[in-house]
Amino acid sequence: MTAFTINGRTVDVSAAPNTPLLWVIRDELKLTGTKFGCGVAQCGACTLHVDGEPVRACVFPLAGAEGRSITTIEGLSEDGSHPVQQAWVELDVPQCGYCQSGQIMSASALLARNPSPSDAEIDEAMRGNLCRCGTYLRIRAAIQRASEA
Amino acid sequence: MTPQRFSMTRRAFLAGTVATGAALIVPLRLSAALAQPREGAGIANAFIRIDTSGQVTFVLPTSEMGQGAHTGQAQVLAEELGADWSSIAVEMPNQPAPAYRIPSGQMRSVGSFGIRLWHDPLRRAAAQAREMLTQAAATRLGVAPATLQAENGVIVHAATGRRLPFGELVEDAMQLPVPDEPTLRPDGERTLTGRTVARLDTPLKVTGKAVYAVDVEREGMLYGAVRLAPVFSADVARFDESSVAGMPGVVAVVRVPRGAVVVADSWWQAKQAADALDITFTQTAADTLSTEEINALLREGLDRTDVPVTTLRGDAEATLTTEGQVVEAVYSVPLLTHMCMEPINCTAESSEERTELWIGTQGQDVIRMTLESAMQVPADRLFINTTYLGGGFGRKTHGEIALQAALASRAVDGRPVKVLWAREDDVRQGQYRQTMMCRFRAALDDDGNITAMHIRLAGPQMGRDYGFDPEERAQATGNLANFDPFSLGGLSDMRYVIPNFVVEHAVVDLPIPLCPWRAISHTYNGFFFESFMDECAAAAGRDPLAYRRSHCEGQERMLAVLDRVAEMARWREPAPEGISRGLAVVESYGSYVAQVVEAQVNGQGVQVERVHVAIDCGRAINPGQVEAQMEGSVVDALGAALNQKVTIRDGRAEQSNFHDYSLLRIGEAPSVSVGIVEIGSPLGGVGEPGMPPLAPALANALFAATQQRIRHLPLSDHVQG
Repeated sequence: MTAFTINGRTVDVSAAPNTPLLWVIRDELKLTGTKFGCGVAQCGACTLHVDGEPVRACVFPLAGAEGRSITTIEGLSEDGSHPVQQAWVELDVPQCGYCQSGQIMSASALLARNPSPSDAEIDEAMRGNLCRCGTYLRIRAAIQRASEA
Repeated sequence: MTPQRFSMTRRAFLAGTVATGAALIVPLRLSAALAQPREGAGIANAFIRIDTSGQVTFVLPTSEMGQGAHTGQAQVLAEELGADWSSIAVEMPNQPAPAYRIPSGQMRSVGSFGIRLWHDPLRRAAAQAREMLTQAAATRLGVAPATLQAENGVIVHAATGRRLPFGELVEDAMQLPVPDEPTLRPDGERTLTGRTVARLDTPLKVTGKAVYAVDVEREGMLYGAVRLAPVFSADVARFDESSVAGMPGVVAVVRVPRGAVVVADSWWQAKQAADALDITFTQTAADTLSTEEINALLREGLDRTDVPVTTLRGDAEATLTTEGQVVEAVYSVPLLTHMCMEPINCTAESSEERTELWIGTQGQDVIRMTLESAMQVPADRLFINTTYLGGGFGRKTHGEIALQAALASRAVDGRPVKVLWAREDDVRQGQYRQTMMCRFRAALDDDGNITAMHIRLAGPQMGRDYGFDPEERAQATGNLANFDPFSLGGLSDMRYVIPNFVVEHAVVDLPIPLCPWRAISHTYNGFFFESFMDECAAAAGRDPLAYRRSHCEGQERMLAVLDRVAEMARWREPAPEGISRGLAVVESYGSYVAQVVEAQVNGQGVQVERVHVAIDCGRAINPGQVEAQMEGSVVDALGAALNQKVTIRDGRAEQSNFHDYSLLRIGEAPSVSVGIVEIGSPLGGVGEPGMPPLAPALANALFAATQQRIRHLPLSDHVQG
């Protein structure tokens, strides 16, 4: 069994310890806001926070979560009121939206450690999050907007 | 299904079920083209449902894959109806009934049709409902209907201030005849379209609450992972179920066309077992196929002597002249895959009595036909819940995944099974954008203007897969023969004035499954044609803008977007220091788009700094979303032009995931400025037309910087990105 905290609640999970955290969270804990995109940490759709740090859940083994605190998009705020989510709404960032949980989790982790990032710092922090709809311009603008909030 | 999926409100509407209590159903009067009876079941459904509580629900014909169709269609409906925008709900039908079909006869979300095709029928249906409600109110109040206004979900009698909410009028309105010729609102009352309205789905998509097919949860659900033949035309030779029977969680191994689905308690378990499955595939004639062989076949096609003329304007002989200045060039594009961020998946519950699917699909009727022919599922026993799509781009027009899921469910006694492909399956299983080669030959007069052009395209024909017979299509479009719109769109119908003009298509069939890819033939024909126009301009020693304009006599929409983009980019002034510029203009899906790419080109490679976009899509229903589609198209098309190709070796795709088939990353995304041109043109599409001009505009910018002409994509084969 692996015990950890997710979005403030403690869980005990019986899946095999080498199971990627992504599948435990999605299929067992039924938190489906965190997405599967590539399985090899290339697209960032599965980004969540482990002790506040952005992590690709598709390659993060369940065993690594033992005793740690995990936040998913569902736990970022109760009602979509996190400044990053608000900025995303104000600029109507998403198109298909599938990558946006991961984008928002990467962006919120960035702003937590660097409240006023430059465009170059945004590009560096967000380079692991792909979007085929091409919403990058609005993502960059929304992060700037959130940093002013 | 969760109620949030399609609803702005907390009200739970299960797709396809009618809300309890009376509901006003407005049947759509179909145009002749749309009303053709088709085989298969379907209820005479509608676009609007209003229940006695006043809840307005729009039942929309187009899948939401990011293009904003749900918001735009709802704007059209709500405006005409006079609904309260803040409380509407939207959903999709769960059977592909005739009312939801496009002119090809299928329910499909393709062709950038969302607004341009549906605008008028939706508006008419909303006007019918409004008139019925208004008539009911007029009777109730004893006043003339003309004295009433429908606004924000209420019928208002302004003279007396009396107000009747829609919900109170529904039962009376249902008794009234549906007006045949409802009066549409005058332009002055059109206040919800023509302006930027926030997308309906954004709040769900920033909180992780939007439900995509991959998120669907059913009681007792199992999970399936696939193991499919790596060579596209191969099938299963044998497999040994016992090789995975003892693995954790494994429930069943199900034979499906071209492979197997391993069903397990969790997807991760299923995936481990699918990878471990002892399975072999049949040998095929395509086992040695390679990109080199494909290119050789395409080159042969360019030289074949038995190819009929498809498109002829003027004199064919003139296109063969060797007098004066002649410009010739050969171009090519590679196979592309889609890389929808949501990998291919479907959840099915299937028994003899009933098959229910949850899927993000662009092709509900394709699924119906697939399950009908492969499993004899009758149309009236098939229910397709269309979820949000995590990207579509043409890829999700196929039924294969639905068949895999339904077969898997049948194999486990009808329990729900979610079959999900890994990214590697998605990249390697074909359904690619065509690879094409094209040779141009142009004769220029003394001023450098094009007097004749001969175009030979070589590559596969795809339209047949979608029911388009090339000879029938030739007749219907004023071409001579062999017209495949999925191959020749953007060539045969190009808008430049060229007096003598020939297009031919040497069909080169390939043993590779093909699929529409955002803007289909316009992606490559736009690249070919607009690069070649630049070559002709250069050969004539003329400015690319002036040269294009001089071939646009009478083409007002071409001129309008060219002039707008030239103004935005200050084309007539020298380019900024260190910046090279390229221009292209392409018509597709009823819209005209011109782009100017501004790039830095130096020893380090090419960096696109800014792209100016001018679009004429008729009237912009939601300008903010038109801008979003142009921004996204530029980024999407730039990634493809710079880096993307699928190559074939030993009959199989060499790429497998984002590390060897890359999308553009945020730091590579240029600034994009968008100008919307409104000159009274008919409504055009928006989801696709932003794509085609980017690659040629970029290649033309590279030429401006280096005098090197890139004729074969991707550019990274030639220069550093």
